[in-house]
Amino acid sequence: MALLSTEDVVVRFGGIRALSDANLEVEPGMVTALIGPNGAGKTTFFNVVTGLHEPDSGRVIFDGTDITRTTPYKRARMGIARTFQKLEAFSSLSARENVLVAAEQRKAWDKSRFSPGAVADELLTRVGITDAAHYMVGTLPTGTARLVELARALAMNPRVLLLDEPSSGLNEEETVGMATLLRALVRDGLAILLVEHDMSFVMGTCEKIFVLNFGQVIAVGSPDEIQGDAVVQDAYLGTVGGRAAS
Amino acid sequence: MKLKAKPTSIAVALAIAAFAVFVVDANRGIAPYSWPNIVTFVVVGLSLGGIYAISACGLVVTYSTTGIFNFAHGAIGCFLAFLYWELRINRHWPAPLALFVVIFVVAPALGVALDKLLMQRLRNATLIVQLMVTVGVMLTFMGVTETIWQPNTGRSLPHFFESSPGVKIDGVTLTWHRIITIVLAAAIAFILRALLYRTRLGIAMRAVVDNRSLAGLSGARPGVVSGASWALGCMTAAIAGILIAPETGLVVENLTLVVVIAFAAAAIAQLKSVPWAFAGGLIVGLASGFVEQFVSFGKDWEFAPQAIPPAILLIAVLFLPQARLETGQLRFTRRSERLTKPWEALTGALAMVGIVVAWANGWIPWFWGTHFGQRTPVWLGRGAGFMVTGVIMLSLVPLTGWAGQVSFANFAIAGFGAAMYAKVGGQNGDPMGIVWVVLMCAPLGVLVAIPALRLKGLYLALASVAFADLADFVLFRHPDIISQVANGNLYKPLELFGFRISSNAPDRKAFVIFMAISFAALFFLLEMLRRSRWARRWIAIADSPAAAATVGVNLTVSKIVVFAFSGAIAGFAGTMLGLSTGALQVNSFPFFAGLPLVLLLAVNGVRYPVAAFLAVISLASFPALYEVTHQPTILVSVSLVGPGLAAIAMAYRPEGAVFYAGRDLAGLLPWRRDARAEKAMAAAKAREQDIRRDEIGDLGLTRPFSADKVAQLDRVLDIADELARHPANARERELAEVGDGAALD
Repeated sequence: MALLSTEDVVVRFGGIRALSDANLEVEPGMVTALIGPNGAGKTTFFNVVTGLHEPDSGRVIFDGTDITRTTPYKRARMGIARTFQKLEAFSSLSARENVLVAAEQRKAWDKSRFSPGAVADELLTRVGITDAAHYMVGTLPTGTARLVELARALAMNPRVLLLDEPSSGLNEEETVGMATLLRALVRDGLAILLVEHDMSFVMGTCEKIFVLNFGQVIAVGSPDEIQGDAVVQDAYLGTVGGRAAS
Repeated sequence: MKLKAKPTSIAVALAIAAFAVFVVDANRGIAPYSWPNIVTFVVVGLSLGGIYAISACGLVVTYSTTGIFNFAHGAIGCFLAFLYWELRINRHWPAPLALFVVIFVVAPALGVALDKLLMQRLRNATLIVQLMVTVGVMLTFMGVTETIWQPNTGRSLPHFFESSPGVKIDGVTLTWHRIITIVLAAAIAFILRALLYRTRLGIAMRAVVDNRSLAGLSGARPGVVSGASWALGCMTAAIAGILIAPETGLVVENLTLVVVIAFAAAAIAQLKSVPWAFAGGLIVGLASGFVEQFVSFGKDWEFAPQAIPPAILLIAVLFLPQARLETGQLRFTRRSERLTKPWEALTGALAMVGIVVAWANGWIPWFWGTHFGQRTPVWLGRGAGFMVTGVIMLSLVPLTGWAGQVSFANFAIAGFGAAMYAKVGGQNGDPMGIVWVVLMCAPLGVLVAIPALRLKGLYLALASVAFADLADFVLFRHPDIISQVANGNLYKPLELFGFRISSNAPDRKAFVIFMAISFAALFFLLEMLRRSRWARRWIAIADSPAAAATVGVNLTVSKIVVFAFSGAIAGFAGTMLGLSTGALQVNSFPFFAGLPLVLLLAVNGVRYPVAAFLAVISLASFPALYEVTHQPTILVSVSLVGPGLAAIAMAYRPEGAVFYAGRDLAGLLPWRRDARAEKAMAAAKAREQDIRRDEIGDLGLTRPFSADKVAQLDRVLDIADELARHPANARERELAEVGDGAALD
């Protein structure tokens, strides 16, 4: 049984269906990708899962519990963490303080003994930004700020991690580091769902891919299956070059 | 407009309706519900409501098309009404000419100037800066109006066609002024609505607020559009001001406060619908007309009718739909700064106490003429008063500076504190009374927040205005709260550690030193709190509420705690406020009396406790300037214009004086190597940006962009890699780079 799943989620913006009957499953120990052209509904899906956007219909199930109407902070406390496509770091706190906020917050539900400060320092090392620890995040380059967001999400010790374009703003070297880190995290049993445009990153990092187009899942499968899928090529992969140049 | 009623909403609505019926029934006047009386009430209500509607429609148009809420709407209308008086009455211009000049020449020119000089710079600013600048414009216009047309001369504007008898309906005379008002209001609402939805300019106006750079790409010129919007706003303000002046009298405060009424109508319209703003204006007008005709409050509540608009504003805010947690609001204008170290905070606190102690004991030789700042009983008393306002400002640092909640109600909370202290210990000089007041003011702070907990920041600011205004008209003017009879005998001196603290001349030295110690202790406490998890959490919810919620922060609880904490500090300030004045006057707490405090704190840097100390000095410097310069008439309103202009400057320097001082001067301290490194880094970054901007300028981009130019731009910005992998993000960044230069055209 999947750790996180959605059933027939529908979100309408005015007359447009941003998501229509979206069914996804995310399993622990695995990196799952959600891909699709711009406007396919990927970020909206993240917002539905984390509670920032209430769906018009459908259900979100986490670990057997229906959380469709649960408030965002309670979902976070259940173990759902995320990063954002457009940066949502706490820009007037330092990088370390960003992570600390999450680690301290975890004290509210995680009764194990841990020191938030130690957790923060360890995670900053793990994502490789100890140098930036005492800079206010608003002054950091986008790539570094994204890593702050990642460390902040990890500080909650989540069970499922949603990453919205994690390689955006990272250089090639950092992207490789990110892939390695994600692999290490799923080995420890974390469930990761990521939205990404960088196809080589997706194909090299993920076990399972959902393809979203006009709010609907049009294909599911392993990277190889997706690359060979005619429907996907037609709807998405074939037009990538064209879109970028337009 | 889609209305979804929840059971709780219906229950609250019924409760409010029942309360309203009870109040009306308990205070029935002598006028029976007869036909002529009803006609009179409707006519009075509609004509007042028409004016409110005009004002509210203008407010809504400006807000919905520029995203900036104009607190200065009433003050601008006030200024223009005085200008009309000057032309029409003082200089005997014919009415049509004077009207034309004020409404169609001066008002739009003023709107365009405000837009070009200030408002365009605010579109990417934080809510705090947007509010401070428009409140600054408000105080400036109030002050300028009072300086040009000094209030010691009586002035009045006649009703239009006063000599004509008007029209009789069912025995009730309908004056032409009222007929004109009602017709004009309907016409203006109709025209504005049609303008927004039926014309190219209007569609562009609405597009611009959604996405400025995208609207720009499709051919709309954002600069022209927002200029037009502010021009329209000022024209409606002028019309409303001229029409209402015969009713309220040409008095700066009254005309400025029309804005609170417009707030109420605009809140009914959820700040976006012109027809609903029109309806909202009529609702407020009819409610006022009804009370005037059929309700008679006793002497104790004689100012209650003036509380109708803020009450409606509060109710409207209560029923607004829940705000979404929005993302993508982040800004990048900060510099890196480190936390104040405990020893630095302690040194600062001791220095503050030291300065005040030295001054109070006369150890500082004084060189400013004969009376300014000398250690006379008068100045010792004033010094204590200034330190009290400093504590009120400190109460705003965690609330506004950290948690990002803009509240204008803390001065009113201090007022409550003062009034309560007179009853729970102040009359005996009992120190425990202070503790009681602090404990009572904490929930009071939360009470202010309740209507706005679910809503976005602007509504909290509006709710806090409503709260302060309600408190002023209903509570502070009630004899049981602030008694006129007991004037001067409300408080006994406070005995602490063998010192007597009171407003009596011999006790003032101890008072000012006690206040300095209290202030410094609170300052130190706040600096230490900034290093704690609570402050981090508050800053997190201000920086990104969505992200804070997704790391498990309960936004409601965090906000309630910060409001309670802030309210408690304001309550303490209140006890001292009472003690320092010795007596309270019923009109001590009008809502705008608290505004200069908020402004000056923001100007000095609302995120930093030390800014409260600087703000105290700023606050003291305006009356001081007036005295030192031997009270020239040009400076008679310097206490309004000074803070107003300072706040306006935030359009250009949004972060506050402490921020810029820290950035530019901290490096001079020998032990601040980090500040010097930081400065060098920032300079390098700025140079890079300048070079890039020049290169973009050299491309000579014009709309619509050609594919060739876009390719060149891609090269300048070096985003080929990013474009291949994340086209949407890359294009957005590109638009932002271009938008900066292009939007200022």
